[in-house]
Amino acid sequence: MSTATALKPSLSTAPERNQSAEKMVQQLREIFADAPELGKKALENVLREIKEQVSEAPPPPIESAGRVGARLGKRSELTIIVPLAPGGAKRLRAFLRLLGGNLNKGDKVGSLHDMRFVFFDSDTRLLFATSFDGDWDPYIDDFVTSIPDYLDIIDSAWDGWPGIRHPGAKDYLARHQITAEGWYVAHPDLTVAEIHRLKRIGKALEEFLDKVG
Amino acid sequence: MATQTAIANRPKQDLAVEQQIQKLRQIYADAPEMGRVALEKIMGELEAAVYSQLKASTAGRIGLRQGKVSELTAIVKFTSGGAKRLRALLNVLGNNFQGADKVGTLHDMRFVFLDNDTKLLFATAYDGDWDPYIDDFATKIPDALDVLFCDAEGYPGMHSPAVRDWIAGNQITADAWYVASPNLTVAETKRLEKVGGAVEEFLDKIG
Repeated sequence: MSTATALKPSLSTAPERNQSAEKMVQQLREIFADAPELGKKALENVLREIKEQVSEAPPPPIESAGRVGARLGKRSELTIIVPLAPGGAKRLRAFLRLLGGNLNKGDKVGSLHDMRFVFFDSDTRLLFATSFDGDWDPYIDDFVTSIPDYLDIIDSAWDGWPGIRHPGAKDYLARHQITAEGWYVAHPDLTVAEIHRLKRIGKALEEFLDKVG
Repeated sequence: MATQTAIANRPKQDLAVEQQIQKLRQIYADAPEMGRVALEKIMGELEAAVYSQLKASTAGRIGLRQGKVSELTAIVKFTSGGAKRLRALLNVLGNNFQGADKVGTLHDMRFVFLDNDTKLLFATAYDGDWDPYIDDFATKIPDALDVLFCDAEGYPGMHSPAVRDWIAGNQITADAWYVASPNLTVAETKRLEKVGGAVEEFLDKIG
């Protein structure tokens, strides 16, 4: 972490960064010229802070996760909103309730950090949102090969869903996905696999220290 | 004592699980065939999962929690012109969310525009319970939040005593929530990252 920060300033010179900070502040003031009073006031309060941040160390940019979605470092977001078929919400709710809202089968998908199912608009729509490692295509493939039956049960509640083995399945998913306009991750460089590795190292170190101590 | 009670209750529990599974089968009777077939395929796993009773718990006032990590999902209406302004703001900021780093309990966060830019979906994964999480935001970065949410309909401002009710009123609890490492907080992950780096350095020195 400290190494990465130390390396960043070499990428652009200080005057360049100050210039881009000035430009950013100006842009923000223009955007908020007709904002509600509360927003305008708050902006002035945070502007100095933002300016400092920009001149300090430019953070890595948000990139595309491939076909659709945003990626920061190694971490991507998937946000899908689908219309539910008649009776679909009732079925899917019953299924998820039986599992106690606990989807530990997600462990089989080695690139999955977190995942939620949220019903809204009077149970006519479902939000499916995940955070995962890497690019969209291999991630979807990972899901399909790891837990196909669970996907069939869940997705059979979706209106117009062609089935995960159908050649049009990925098009359906991409069509219903909405790329986030803003995406933040606390540890953008840690994949699921790397976190598991770090957990093992942490445990081994504790054991080691126990033996020494 | 607790074990004895559990054993005594076992047949009763078996019956309850059987009934639950049976009910699910009935509900899926009119599902598309692919859903029905898949349900039968995983029936064994499903029964095991129900018995294990590893349930997601509540994050406090609202939302689900898995281990130490909770979910917050809110959908709010934009004021007119609000979507345009927030999009421009997010574009300029890039991923400059150092404020979020400052809060220290936030795993990830997304802003998604819905229904032709009329609504905003805000979804986060965070550590612990709802109340201290909101407190954290309100005390550490109230201004940054006011800038981000001033264009949400009815937003009272982070300094207003009404803000908690406003957030809870727009939040929708997930029906299911999965976390790959439910026992790792943001702080613990950071600590492990440091440990990993130190161990590598150590091995380099002796290697």
